[in-house]
Amino acid sequence: MRFSVYRFDPDRDDKPRMQDFDLELQPNDHMVLDALLRLKQIDDSLSFRRSCREGVCGSDGMNINGRNRLACITELRSLREPIVIRPLPGQPVIRDLIVDLTQFFEHYHSIRPWVVDNRPMPEHERLQSPEERSTLDGLYECILCACCSTTCPSYWWNPEQFIGPAGLLQAYRFIADSRDQALDERLDFLEGPFRLYRCRTIMNCTEVCPKGLAPSHAIEQIRKLQFGRSF
Amino acid sequence: MAGGERLLGGLRAWTWQRVSALYLLGFGLVLAIRLVATPLADYAQWHAFWTAPPMATATLLAVVSLAVHAWVGGRDVILDYVRPRSARPVALALLGLLIGLAVARFAVALLAALG
Amino acid sequence: MKTRPVFLDLFRIGQPIGAIASILHRASGLLLVLALLVLAVLFEYSLASPEGFAAVRQILAGPLATLALIVLAWALAHHVLAGIRHILMDTGTGWRLAQARRSALAVIVTGLVCAVAAALALIF
Repeated sequence: MRFSVYRFDPDRDDKPRMQDFDLELQPNDHMVLDALLRLKQIDDSLSFRRSCREGVCGSDGMNINGRNRLACITELRSLREPIVIRPLPGQPVIRDLIVDLTQFFEHYHSIRPWVVDNRPMPEHERLQSPEERSTLDGLYECILCACCSTTCPSYWWNPEQFIGPAGLLQAYRFIADSRDQALDERLDFLEGPFRLYRCRTIMNCTEVCPKGLAPSHAIEQIRKLQFGRSF
Repeated sequence: MAGGERLLGGLRAWTWQRVSALYLLGFGLVLAIRLVATPLADYAQWHAFWTAPPMATATLLAVVSLAVHAWVGGRDVILDYVRPRSARPVALALLGLLIGLAVARFAVALLAALG
Repeated sequence: MKTRPVFLDLFRIGQPIGAIASILHRASGLLLVLALLVLAVLFEYSLASPEGFAAVRQILAGPLATLALIVLAWALAHHVLAGIRHILMDTGTGWRLAQARRSALAVIVTGLVCAVAAALALIF
């Protein structure tokens, strides 16, 4: 199979380049990550992040044939050759397919991704009914792979100020949580023209999420709540 | 969170954009139907069409809605693309000027025809 | 430290149908705003006097103006249809991916159909 891979070595290269490979695959090489590991056997300098190899850690998000995917769960036979592999768009490239996601995680931290409850401790557990728990379905499964935010044009144009689909989905995950007591503050934090309202519902995020989540819908739910309490 | 953020407001702008859009949609539909249904062969008919009190009022409202809608939309484009950030107030001012001039012209034309 | 490169070649990043409907929504909006001043002037003249009315009629009959009107007709049609799609999604209709893709395609196609219809109406 033919591959074309984005290469950039900060110690040697002034600018990035594409390197072509023709790879002899083994019978149990099914996923792009399998191919990347074989490519690394040919050229040991090829660098990329990976860990669980089963689509749950979110490490190996990259742009494969023009679309952000997780390399470990993207089947090789579903892709047209040459398979073009590039890093996630819009983010500074540290090396080869490894991008700097500092800002992405800063946005995540900014929305306070934990349950806020400053009331005195109850005598028993803080209870949550199955119905209340079900409101977190479609939100808790996010693995912070950054495929969504790095495919969002609004995030490309304003990465410093716009929180991005992943951060906003996580914001909603805590807004929707029945145990959380900070609803008004969370909604306040997301008013203003930039943090949430750069979103134009382009829906690239939902198109691309490898876990099948819908950040655009979560953002819409936040808007609904903000609207509901204002009017 | 800066006071400026609250003033510009994301929710407020978004709501005004939707409200103005809905009014313009309704107005546009009624206008389209009436334009097709009414004979408008000469100046007298054209003038009468626009200066009838219900039409004139609805049109003035539409012109204001248009200003609001175009402002929110244009502002979004500027906030997305205009770099450096210090250039944004200038761009926003130019947008305001363009929309303001157009809308003023529409309104003045209609009011002059009425008066 | 060297500046880190960024991969953002828009021609190499595949854009789904929703993204296309969205960028056209923005482009059509910009076209309409730019046309506003011209339309305002034309409206003013047409309403001011019979001579103005006749003059505007003649201007609009010209080939360049006809082309501009066809483009504006497309812009208006696409912008309104895409706007309706957005408002429906705001109220919870059609937010699922499959539905959103279908509605995006419908908006794009209908907009083009409207432009063709306008072209036919204006030319004949």
